[in-house]
Amino acid sequence: MLGPNGSGKTTTLGMLMGVVNPTQGEFTWFGQAATHETRKKIGAVLEHPIFYPYLSGQKNLELTAMIKGAPKEHIAKVLDIVELAQRKEDKYRTYSLGMKQRLAIASALLNDPIVLILDEPTNGLDPMGIAEIRTIIKRIAADGKTIILASHLLDEVQKVCSHFAILRKGNLVHSGPVDDVGRGEETVEVFAYHDDLSALLQHFEGTLSLKKEGANYLVKLKQEFHSQDLNRFLFGKGIVASHLVTQKKSLEKQFLEILSEAENKSHLTRS
Amino acid sequence: MLHLLKVDLKKMISYRTFWVVCGLYFLTLAFTTASGMEFLKWLASKGAEFGTSLNISRIPLYHFPDVWQNLIFISGFFKIVLAIMVVISITNEFTYRTIRQNIIDGMSRWEFLLSKILTNGLLSITSVAMVFIIGLVTGLIYSPASNLEYILTDLEFFPAYFLEVFAFLSYALMLGIIIQRSGLTIIVLMLSFMIEAIIKVNIPDQAEFLKMFFPMESITNLVAMPFARYAFQEIQDYVSAASVAIAMAWTFLFNYFGYLKLTKSDI
Repeated sequence: MLGPNGSGKTTTLGMLMGVVNPTQGEFTWFGQAATHETRKKIGAVLEHPIFYPYLSGQKNLELTAMIKGAPKEHIAKVLDIVELAQRKEDKYRTYSLGMKQRLAIASALLNDPIVLILDEPTNGLDPMGIAEIRTIIKRIAADGKTIILASHLLDEVQKVCSHFAILRKGNLVHSGPVDDVGRGEETVEVFAYHDDLSALLQHFEGTLSLKKEGANYLVKLKQEFHSQDLNRFLFGKGIVASHLVTQKKSLEKQFLEILSEAENKSHLTRS
Repeated sequence: MLHLLKVDLKKMISYRTFWVVCGLYFLTLAFTTASGMEFLKWLASKGAEFGTSLNISRIPLYHFPDVWQNLIFISGFFKIVLAIMVVISITNEFTYRTIRQNIIDGMSRWEFLLSKILTNGLLSITSVAMVFIIGLVTGLIYSPASNLEYILTDLEFFPAYFLEVFAFLSYALMLGIIIQRSGLTIIVLMLSFMIEAIIKVNIPDQAEFLKMFFPMESITNLVAMPFARYAFQEIQDYVSAASVAIAMAWTFLFNYFGYLKLTKSDI
């Protein structure tokens, strides 16, 4: 679940988890109307990790286990998953931010949930912490659990997720599989030692548009053309490219495009 | 039910503030109620200095069945300490936002409130048990006639005392849920009696009967002040059904208002 700050990601998840009262609309979990019993089968961390600061990590998890009705034996298991077993007897308030996030993931995993909801799980972490959390998420995803991830780290979403949705000012502006990102026209970054490379590239039948960026040229290709076609064309002209890179359209780009499209649309409808 | 009580106790049992406040409560309660004779002796020695003699054995402070109402009336003053503990317990949930996580983890809002109400009940029962034991021990020590008939007289003050503490703790819980900040809640809690007194003063004489319906008044009315009887004055040495009904209605309302606030607002 993607969206700029304040687009309603946490509010949406809050409604699904029963802490925000919806003004209208409805939702179901697992095909049934949601009750507090359904929530026990979902592991969720919204925004920041929340625990009793004066209790130890172990005691906090014991409390969560009581509420969720999870067996006590799971506590040691999830502490191992997030590698917190050594610090489990320390008070929660002595934990670093990274450890707090990890404890939050551990508590979400306690009842062997069907669905895991993680809201900005790497927020405010240093690169090491981010890497740790990413490894944990991938490990959990490999176990076959459904993960709903709200994040700013588009790169991460692209790597971990299969589907994505984009929110803007509380409205869903796009949803679809992540695999669809990057389909469509290809852009190729190219450079070769030739006096008139620009004119030459213009002549290539697959060129949709041409842009100079630094020393390189950015060639946007027509739908059915690919980088190898461009390469073959140049080679045929007796030119060997010294630099040829296919730019994959990233989720980040797509994200920004969709948002600006939505922006334009709302401007149009308003005027 | 028991499960919910256990959940709330789990939060408290490793919380040092809880033990300190409860420890102070039960210690001061025990010392104050048990030291009535020492107080009378001190009073007598002061009186002797001024040439008036006070025969302390003529004041049956700890005699059955007087002891029950005497001790319960005094104990009633200390419920504010317990109420502050309740305020800390509920406002912590809002400051740390743990109430949010409790709901996310699968508690319903009603279950959350019920876990707090059950703890209130447990604290009230513990207070009752404490006062009963102190009354029984001091009564057996000081009472000249400790036959069973006297001991078992006037025990209806205990359910009334339970209601008094439970009603006040319900009030504290409701305040905490509405205000959500501990400092402000404690101040409002302590000023409640004064604010109510100011309102009551402004009630015209014709509407005098309205006073007994005020929440703090109804809680205080459950066990009337007994000591005037030692100055040969008439006192209310029973629990009036009307005061019980009014206090019960308020207790229900306090918890119901808490429930309304909790279910209607975003957490």
